[in-house]
This record gives sequence, structure tokens and C-alpha cells, in this order.
Amino acid sequence: MRSLIASVAVGAALAVAPVAAPAMAQDDLSYVLVSHAPDSDSWWNTIKNGIALAGDQVGVSVEYRNPPTGDIADMARIIEQAAASGPNGIITTLADYDVLSGPIMDAVASGVDVIIMNTGTADQAREVGALMYVGQPEYDAGYAAGLRAKGDGITSFLCVNHTIQQPSLVERCQGFADGLGVELGESMLDSGTDPGEVKNKVMAYLSTNPDTDAVLTLGPVSADPTIQALEENGMAGDIYFGTFDLGEEIVKAIKAGTIKWGIDQQPFLQAYLPVVIMANYHRYGVLPGNNINSGPGFVTADGLEKVEMFAGEYR
Amino acid sequence: MSEMTQQQTATDERVKEMSPLRRALIRPELGGICGTIVVFACFFVFAFDSGMFNSQGVLNWSTVSAQFMIIAVGACLLMIAGEFDLSVGSMIGFSGMMIAIFSVTLGWPVWIAIIVTFALCIAIGAVNGFIVIRTGLPSFIVTLASLFILRGFTIYLPQALERKTIIGGIRDIAEGDWLAPIFGGKILQGLFQWMGDAGIIGTFERGSRAGDPVVDGIPMLIVWALVLVLVGHLLLTRTQFGNWIFAAGGDAQAARYVGVPVNRVKVLMFMFTAFCACVFATCQVMEFGSAGADRGLLKEFEAIIAVVIGGALLTGGYGSVIGAALGALIFGVVQQGLFFAGVESSLFRVFLGVILLFAVVLNTYIRRMITGER
Amino acid sequence: MNTRTQHEPIIQMREIEKHFGSVIALAGVSLDVYPGECHCLLGDNGAGKSTFIKTMSGVHEPTSGEILFEGKPMRFSDPRMAIAAGIATVYQDLAMIPLMSVARNFFMGNEPIKRIAGIPFYDQEHADRITMQEMRKMGINLRGPDQAVGTLSGGERQTVAIARAVHFGAKVLILDEPTSALGVRQTSNVLATVDKVRKQDIAVVFITHNVRHALAVGDRFTVLNRGKTLGTAQRGQITPDELQDLMAGGQELAELEGSLGGTV
Repeated sequence: MRSLIASVAVGAALAVAPVAAPAMAQDDLSYVLVSHAPDSDSWWNTIKNGIALAGDQVGVSVEYRNPPTGDIADMARIIEQAAASGPNGIITTLADYDVLSGPIMDAVASGVDVIIMNTGTADQAREVGALMYVGQPEYDAGYAAGLRAKGDGITSFLCVNHTIQQPSLVERCQGFADGLGVELGESMLDSGTDPGEVKNKVMAYLSTNPDTDAVLTLGPVSADPTIQALEENGMAGDIYFGTFDLGEEIVKAIKAGTIKWGIDQQPFLQAYLPVVIMANYHRYGVLPGNNINSGPGFVTADGLEKVEMFAGEYR
Repeated sequence: MSEMTQQQTATDERVKEMSPLRRALIRPELGGICGTIVVFACFFVFAFDSGMFNSQGVLNWSTVSAQFMIIAVGACLLMIAGEFDLSVGSMIGFSGMMIAIFSVTLGWPVWIAIIVTFALCIAIGAVNGFIVIRTGLPSFIVTLASLFILRGFTIYLPQALERKTIIGGIRDIAEGDWLAPIFGGKILQGLFQWMGDAGIIGTFERGSRAGDPVVDGIPMLIVWALVLVLVGHLLLTRTQFGNWIFAAGGDAQAARYVGVPVNRVKVLMFMFTAFCACVFATCQVMEFGSAGADRGLLKEFEAIIAVVIGGALLTGGYGSVIGAALGALIFGVVQQGLFFAGVESSLFRVFLGVILLFAVVLNTYIRRMITGER
Repeated sequence: MNTRTQHEPIIQMREIEKHFGSVIALAGVSLDVYPGECHCLLGDNGAGKSTFIKTMSGVHEPTSGEILFEGKPMRFSDPRMAIAAGIATVYQDLAMIPLMSVARNFFMGNEPIKRIAGIPFYDQEHADRITMQEMRKMGINLRGPDQAVGTLSGGERQTVAIARAVHFGAKVLILDEPTSALGVRQTSNVLATVDKVRKQDIAVVFITHNVRHALAVGDRFTVLNRGKTLGTAQRGQITPDELQDLMAGGQELAELEGSLGGTV
């Protein structure tokens, strides 16, 4: 059964490229998912797989759009453009409320249904007139992780932020700091996205601040090089290491004991559920009454089997 | 004295006569004109029914093209004057952030924030120019340094002052300001309301704005783009200064020998490029109400690509503002249009590369015909 | 034809010295140029010809020495000042900008202005007309004023540059090796142009290291070597061979003579 789903998914993924698959169902629903992630962010592959699978299963066509450089102002244009093409619904992240609220409200006003996914908050989703919010509230997730770390006796930490321009990532660090009950201050490292740079910056920070208790990374982009850095300087397994999001390397590291826990916001659900919910709303008028928190779920060395099998694909 | 007698006396067997049609075609903009026709023809065929050519769709790709145009005009004139500015993208991020810091963090009136930011950015442009002129280093290197310096400050300043990387809330403060609408406002709203009422363009179906036209005016961004293109074109082709821009880029030493103030021309062009970047940023900040540290990423290359598609020579001394504007239009239409045509967005770069290559080959061929380059 | 004895020299260079750091490029060079004469400045590579004419045209300021222009002492700190006074220079390969049209090159730095609503615009119609007219005078047939200079031959480019200088009222025309890169036919065209210009009572300073080109149009000949003059000769007072010897090694021969105590 599992292999059947996997092969269906692969087939669906192939059908998306290079020209979006025509809608298979009779009612011809079309949705657009707009993300804020630059092309280089591989984490969003799970999202692409999620919408492909959902689109295939419920028989709607879903397109994935993103600003190539991650520029939020460009993303606003993409939302405007998506609205102009007259889809039935838009699923979008709300990476910057100031910039994106205008285009989203225009889309809503011109008759397009919107679901906010991934970044943003339930309040913001309501304000722009979206149907609902599906995602993981970033600050809350960071706060929960901070409380957990505090319970494990942590008093100081390093937050490796690979996209410091992204407010949601800063919120994760801030939440973690508040959960621990310490000042964020100098603990947040602007690492950049280049793996070599991330690795060296982490090593440099840890050698100048050897009494750091914990490392928090905000996704595979910062976690993978940090794992290498810790293996190299011998702190792997010794330092308390938590991360947001999952990926192949992260799963391996959890298994190896390098990473204590990974916070899974289950991006698959963030992509899959809005498509299914919207299709059912458009077909039968049914809509869940609440926002959906897809995370945080803590992934530890226990029960890694499924995560391992689908890391980077559906997890 | 008349043209006739000149035609009769002019019989040099080595000067080939050209047909009037050929002469009309052989101009630096030809590549851009051809590209524009091809691109529009393609999208008319493949994406006509997709919403690309309804009022919202047209506004969408016009706005994106206008953004490219604003920075392309500056980059074009600077490139013709023989220099590059790689700091355009960082300048966009920086100037937007400065407006936000001045108005939100420091609480200055928005118009003062805008004016001070313009002065600051133009001064930075002048510094770029002076360093290039004084040191004789390639502007490529000097402005590459500015790219990093400005981007660094753009990330550092808001973090140091506000502990975040996006400063919002500018739209609220700009309410009632006299200067802000020049950048973030819209014109011809009455006309569009009328068109909406008359059913020529679509109207919103629901919500608080139900009944309003989906396009409620021409954004000032587009007005700025058109004005800058027009002014840039007239400056380049119809003024003494325009001749100096060509001369400075064509051969700076030869120009100096006949008394063209080459250094002044180049520094002024660096300042103009900074001005254009600042216009871009101000329009963006006033429209979206926030400034982010990652705004304008890679825009310098987009500007240069538009200029090169438009027929300008990378080494200077040759080019056209109209061509650059068409290059920007092609860029914007392709970028937005691929979506309407239902093409996977990651293939955008492939199309862009193909168009760039095609345009440059065509432009090189045209330029050789015009200038006798070998 | 030679009326210069009745004139004052238009430009007098007195004991011009130019040092670049520790290098002495010019060690006291004096030269008079009269209106309507073609004064040839000869010398081998590195003799100081270029430095000397750049001093005359305002690119370099002399370290010491005096420049008298129309009898009055002048100090040019900028090429524009020299141009404004009437000293125009045509450089060998920097005369024209190949990517620009003939008309735009012709008026480069002196663009005609036409005011429309108070805004100064470039008067293209005027520029095109004058350019075609002047080119025809010099015997160059253009396809149109918008033809790019890059399509012209090397000799034609020099001619356009000379015509430009004359049109803008040059009293002294400095030609920096105008013939060195040209073929036979183009050279004779340029030399004929020089002759036309001289007859308009303009002083021509003709820099070359080709003795035959110099003798073809020159009225007087000054030879430079190692930053010094080896004297000035009138037309007819010197043979090509003497001139050639002077250029090639006059200085060294003289030094050799001195060091051997006059025994050679």
C-alpha cells in the first residue's frame, strides 16, 4: 500500500513538470499555492509533493508559485497575478502581513477563496478574510520548544538563523528564548544560507562561547551544516541540539543521537489539507469550523521509522 | 547645398546605398522591438484566455515591467556612459529601510524621511562615482563592494534599532502626507471607476469593496517608469549632455581631449542610477507599507539584463533608453506571463536565458552593421 | 606663399621643461609657430614629442618655462582652456569615437543648442547640416550624418577630426602622428587636408617620425631628441638624409663627439 502511494506521488510529481497537469475532474477546479520561499529552499519540496498528491486524489489542478529570490514584494505581485488568472482558490503563506495583506484582500474581494498556510497567524488570516489558517504558529512552537529545553536544564543557547530577513524565523528564536526565560540578545547567529559559511560560523561561535548549553537550528538549511560542525569539533551528542523542521540529515542525526528532537510542523498537512478542504468546500460547501495546527510535533529517536522513510518527501 | 545635389555628387563606390526600410530598421532598439513582438505574439496565442489580458492581468505585468523599467533607465544611461552599478539591488533595500527607520523608528514626517533618503542615496551614488573616477578601478568592483556594504547595513540597522528585519506600519503614518502619494498613490481613479460602472472592466464581487472596479487606477509606479523613460530618452538623444554620455562611454580619453567633462558625466550618472533605485524603493515602501532587509535582491542583474536585451553595449558608448524600456517590458511580461500560460515557474530562468541570448546575438549583429565594428 | 616673416608667431614655447617624478621628459624645449605655416615636429619614439604637444594643448602643465599665445603669456591647466583659446589637437587613434555618428563626433564637446520652452536641446538638424557641408568640403562622401565613424577609414577619421578643429575656430592645429597608421592613398589624402588647412592661415604643428611625410607638407622642421631640440631648419635648407640622421642619432653622435674631446 505504501509503495502504491509513493508511486502515485512520483507519477503526480512528474505530471506537474513542466506544464501543470490539466484538471482531471469534471468541475475543473484550479488552485494556486503561493509560497515565500526562494527557489533554493529544498524544504518546500514536501509542499510540492503534498499539493501534487492532494490534487491528484481529489481531481483538481494545483500550481506552485514562489518568488525566485524570496523577495516578499515580488511575492505580492505573484498573488496579484494569481488572482488575475481567476483561479477558484489561492493557498498562500502570510510571510509579511504589511506587504501581502493588500493583494490577498483584493483577491478575496474579487471572488477568490484564500487559505493561509505555513506562516502567519490565525488572527491575521481572519483579518485578510481567509477561510482558515493551516500551520504552526511560529512563536508558540518556539516557546514550547523553549519550555521543553528548560525542563532538560538548559540555560544558554545558540540560534542558527539562516534567513534573518524572515520575521517568522526570528519569532522561532524569540519564542525559544522566552520559553527558556533568557534574553535572545547575541544568541541569534546570522548564518546565511551557504552550507560552508553556516558550518564555519557555528564552529567559530562555539569556540568563542564554549559554555553554550544548546543549539537550535531553524530548518535543514541551518541544521545540516550544524550537524557537520558539531561532528567536526566533537560536540556532537554532547551539546543539547534541537531543530525546527525535518529532513534526511536531521532524521539521521536524531537516530544517531546528535539531535535531541526535531519540531515537525508537518508541512505535508499544510499543503495537502488546504487543497482537500477547499475542493470539498467548493463542491459540497463543507468547511471545518476551526483553524488547523499542523504542528508542533516533537520527533525524537522513538518512532522514527515512518519519518525516516519519507523524510524530505512527505515529512 | 540641398540634399539632391549632395546625393548626386556623392558617388563613392565603397559606400553601399541602403534602402530606406533597412535604414529605418537598423537601430539599437530593433532587438527589443522584435523581442517585444515575439513575446506578445506568443502570449496572445498561448495565454489569451487565461486572464493575462484582462484589466487585472494587464495591470499586473505592467506594474512588474514598470519596476524593471525604473531601474533599467538608470542602469542604461550609466552603462552607455561606460560604467556599471551592481549596488542597485542593495540600494533598493537600503533606501526602503532608511525611509522606514526615519519615519517609523525616528518618527519623522514621511515627506522629510523621503527627501532625506533621496539625498542620502544620491550622495552614496556620488561616492560610488568618485571612487571609480579617482581610483580608476573598474566600477564593477567598486559597486560590488557597495552591494555588500549597503546590504549589510540594511540588515544590521533595523535589527539594532527595532530588533527585527522588517519594519512595517509606514502606510499608516503616510496617511495624509503630501509627498507619499507621489510614490504610492494612483491616478485616473475616476476613469477606472467609470469603466467599472460601465462594465468595461471587472468589479469586485464581494466584501467591503464589492462594486469597485478590480483596477482602480494607474499606480504612480507606472507613471514614474514612463516619465523616467521619456526623460532618459530625451536626455540621451536630444541634449548636449546626452552626447557627452555617449562620448564618455565610447572613449573617455577622446572625449576629454575635445573638452567633454567625462568625470562629471560619469559621477552624475552614478547619482542618477541611485536616484532611480530610490524611486523604485520609495514606490514599493509606500505601496506595501513596510521595508524588508531582503528587498531588491538580485535586482541589479535584472536591470542589466533588461538594458542588454534593449541593445546597449556592455562596454559602453552605445545603447538606447527606449530599448532598455522594451527590455524591461519583455522581462516583466515573460516573468508574469509564463504563469498565465501555465508553465512551471522554475522554467522561467530557462526562457529568460534563451531570450537574453537571442537578443544579444541579434543586437550584436545590428550594432556591427551600424557602427562598422569588426 | 610664405608670409610668416611679416607675422608675429601665434604661439611661442620658451624653455619648456616637464618632469614626471624623477624622469625629465622635456629638458628645455623652445619653439615658435607662425600662422599659415606647417611646423613639423620630428623625433624618434620617446623623444618627448607627445609630452611636448600635450603641454601645448593643456593636458600637462609645464614644470617650468613659458607659453606665449598671441604674444601674451598663457597657462593652460585644462584642455578646455587651450581649446577655448584656439589650440586644437587631433590625436592619432583618439580622434573619434567609432560607435557614434559622424555628426555627433563632429560636434562632440561643442554641441549646438536649440531652446524649446527654455530647455536647451541638442540641435540635431543644424548639426547634421553643418557636418554634411564640412565633409563635402573635405571631399568625404557620407551616406548620411548618422553614419557611424566606425564605418570610415582611418584617413577619413583623421580628416573629420581636422575638419572639426578648423570648423570650431582653431588657430593652432596640432596633429599627433596623423599618418603613422595609414596606407599610401589615405596618407596623401590627409597631407592634402593639411595643405588646405594651412592655406586658411591656420598654424599647423605636425608630429611625425616619417621624414617623407614631413617634407611633403612642412615649412619648418624641428627635431626633438631625449627631451631637447636639435634645432629648427627651414624648408629647402635640409635634405631628407640629414633630417633622418638628426632624428635617428644626432644626440648620441653629438655626445659621443663631446666625450672624445672633439677628436672624431
